[in-house]
Amino acid sequence: MGSSRGRDGPIRARSESVTHSSPAGPLLQLRDLTKRYGGIHALRGASLTISRPGVVHGLIGENGSGKSTTLGILSGQVMPDSGSIRLEGEAVQFHRPIEAISRGIAMVSQETALALDLSVAENILLGERLVRGGFGINWTATRAKAAEVLARLHLDIDPEEITGALSPDRRQMVEIARALSMDARVLILDEPTSSLTDDQVRVLFATIETLKSQGVSIVFVSHRLGEMFAIVDELTVLRDGQTVAAGPMSEFDVHRIVDEMVGRKGAWAEHEHVERAFDRGRVAPALEIDRLGVPGIIREASFDIAPGEIVGIAGLVGSGRSELLEAIFGARPGVTGEIRIAGESYQPRTPRAAIERRIGYLPPDRKVRGLVLGQSVRENLTMALTAFVGRFAPYRKASTAPVVDAVMGSMRVRAASPDVAVGTLSGGNQQKVALGKWLAVDSQLLLLDEPTRGVDVAAKAEIHGLLREAADRGAALLVSSSENEELIELCDRILVLFRGEIIATIDSTEATEAILGRYTGGHTSE
Amino acid sequence: MSNFWRRLWGSTRHFRPALVLVIVLFAVFAATQPAFLGARNLQNLLTAVAVLWIVSIGMTFVTITGGIDLSAGATVALVGIFIGKMVNYTPVPSWVTIILSIVIGVAIGAFLNGVLIGRLGMSFFVVTLATMTALTGVVNLWSNSLTDTVADPAIAWVGVERTLGMPTPIWIMIIVFLIALFVQNRTHFGRDIYAVGGSIAAARLSGIRVERTIMAAYAIVGGCAGLAGVIAVGRIGAATPQVDGDLPLQAAAAVLLGGTALIGGSGGVGGTAVGVLFIGILQNGLSISGVQSYWQQVVTGVILVAAVLGERFQRRGKGTRRWFGELAQMRMKRGGDDAGADGQVGPETSQNAGEQSR
Repeated sequence: MGSSRGRDGPIRARSESVTHSSPAGPLLQLRDLTKRYGGIHALRGASLTISRPGVVHGLIGENGSGKSTTLGILSGQVMPDSGSIRLEGEAVQFHRPIEAISRGIAMVSQETALALDLSVAENILLGERLVRGGFGINWTATRAKAAEVLARLHLDIDPEEITGALSPDRRQMVEIARALSMDARVLILDEPTSSLTDDQVRVLFATIETLKSQGVSIVFVSHRLGEMFAIVDELTVLRDGQTVAAGPMSEFDVHRIVDEMVGRKGAWAEHEHVERAFDRGRVAPALEIDRLGVPGIIREASFDIAPGEIVGIAGLVGSGRSELLEAIFGARPGVTGEIRIAGESYQPRTPRAAIERRIGYLPPDRKVRGLVLGQSVRENLTMALTAFVGRFAPYRKASTAPVVDAVMGSMRVRAASPDVAVGTLSGGNQQKVALGKWLAVDSQLLLLDEPTRGVDVAAKAEIHGLLREAADRGAALLVSSSENEELIELCDRILVLFRGEIIATIDSTEATEAILGRYTGGHTSE
Repeated sequence: MSNFWRRLWGSTRHFRPALVLVIVLFAVFAATQPAFLGARNLQNLLTAVAVLWIVSIGMTFVTITGGIDLSAGATVALVGIFIGKMVNYTPVPSWVTIILSIVIGVAIGAFLNGVLIGRLGMSFFVVTLATMTALTGVVNLWSNSLTDTVADPAIAWVGVERTLGMPTPIWIMIIVFLIALFVQNRTHFGRDIYAVGGSIAAARLSGIRVERTIMAAYAIVGGCAGLAGVIAVGRIGAATPQVDGDLPLQAAAAVLLGGTALIGGSGGVGGTAVGVLFIGILQNGLSISGVQSYWQQVVTGVILVAAVLGERFQRRGKGTRRWFGELAQMRMKRGGDDAGADGQVGPETSQNAGEQSR
């Protein structure tokens, strides 16, 4: 399978025996990997060492630090320009995913990779692992084998269920089951928690513990430092395509991790908590919502937001957070109830009408709905302007320059020029552009769904800063996030949605993650 | 055995509307047209759609990968000309010619369409449109735009003669269908096609050779078109340079009517068979009712839209959403993170409905 023999036999021979505590024989060693894409150095000397079976190895770094490339090399999707991979001391090379899989390295990618119309059993055993019988594939045996894998993970999922009917967290479990069914010894989880709720993360962590006890090593990638400390045994930090720190988790604390990621001493302190004094006072509300309903999703939601206020929405996936924002933006049919903007009644019929009322909406998936990746920064920033200048007004680059320069400057968008494609920017800068689209038209009400999803710690702090600036200029912000931590840090007030109803409103000075966790689970009594 | 029936019923979930339509249509013509149920008429009904049937079954595999082969009609014509030349101007035995016809179809599918789409990752639309255009040119050049009579017993046996009391094309239809059903449900290749169409990333990560799988799917539709070409020549006893550009589109209509989604990853040949039967019964029933058979096209178009809408209605549950907001919602939902409202979710069976409302 494309693997060349190891030159140093002795190490390989030793690895036959169990090498649990032996420092000489790591399970897997990536050393000095380099990779260039055209003129860009994606990796220049990245290393990663998994010490033994049954260990959780964390990989962290800012966007663009080379995490994806490293994982791609490890899982056989990317060929390195130089550097070595040693599995139990034996040098190996992977030209395609199947070669990595055959050596026990499997990956669960960030975007769920499942054939939604097929059964759970089939998704788990996709490819050559469907059980062959006398008359083609033996489906009874295939289902039994899938059930076995699910049982090993202590998962209560019916193998015959159609995968598309599962909730996102259970789909992810199916992917993990698939990786496991390949007899994976090293399982790569690329940001597995980015779309999970706290409860689901707990289930995932329990599954990871189960795998650990079965001798499976995990490569765990996450932007959330809290998770790193909760689950990870050893850590590798990447910056600019290089490994800048590695070692057991006990050697790290938050300060050191952030400093290493950013490459500056004291970087963490700069990003730490900014207290914001907001006083509701007696100003007229910017947005008033009275008994808003979305058929089958949201019931009788009533609240208001003052100009300059940042209101958060907490809730589990499926609690109606996204739908509430979409409803206000006019992107949902059948909305009932009353909405008033600055005292005037407003019917959320179409996004266009919302934009004309100076409402901006940042969708949770910037690569799909937030941006047109192939178009330039300029075009993305000025996209919402059409609503104000008329459809047939000529589009002249020069006339957009003042707006574009102002927004890019004030948001500190790092791009070579406004005319490069947005897709070439880093995640954090992309998100700034998606947000800048609304600042360009001076939106007075910003509806933000997961404003910092998939951006790194530094960019997250920067975006939070920009949102606070917008609020200080008098905009009203409604922020939905699956990270309660983020809401507590950013917002003045937090609404808790549970199954489509607002069951609590908490002042953020009183909110803790424990309280929010209890409320989002539907427990309102003490 | 109740499990067996449950699974069988479950496997029809993509084409239940079409199945109901076919049964109703059949019942209506059977009740109103005394000639309809005659053995000879039913045989005519089937042989009239033999070419469409075989191409559609091949097309199903390509559609499951998320493509369509527009060049199938041109392949049928090319194979026709090939047969004319071989039978009339060479001493090659006709059974060899028949096998070579299929080989030509497979080669066009695998090495033209398959390589360009699978290996080079080009758009199926561009590639098959181009091969269709180019092959149409080849057909006219090679035949000098002239029709050639083909009077060959073996070719005629395939196209019009009877075997064991039934027209041979019907036997071929049955055999091709059964083979396709086996390939689809019981071979790794068959399942790989679903994986590739459902999620290329999942397929890759599972070690499936995506490029080869796509190439093989186009090879299958090519081979089917080759076989259909033999039947077509046999039926009319001549090799004509007329390319039926409508054939691949009709096949696509049958495939879609049979519940195979254009985005790939779902459906199957069972539904396609129902889709072709729908077109066949409508065509035949209308013509023996004395209605212009062009109405068949009008009705097929309308039903195609209705069937797809009907399936969506069934899957969404009743009354909760407005129909006309659907399109906007589907666009919004692509890549969204919410549970439930997913454009690709199959109809909710009673067993998983409880699971979801958890």
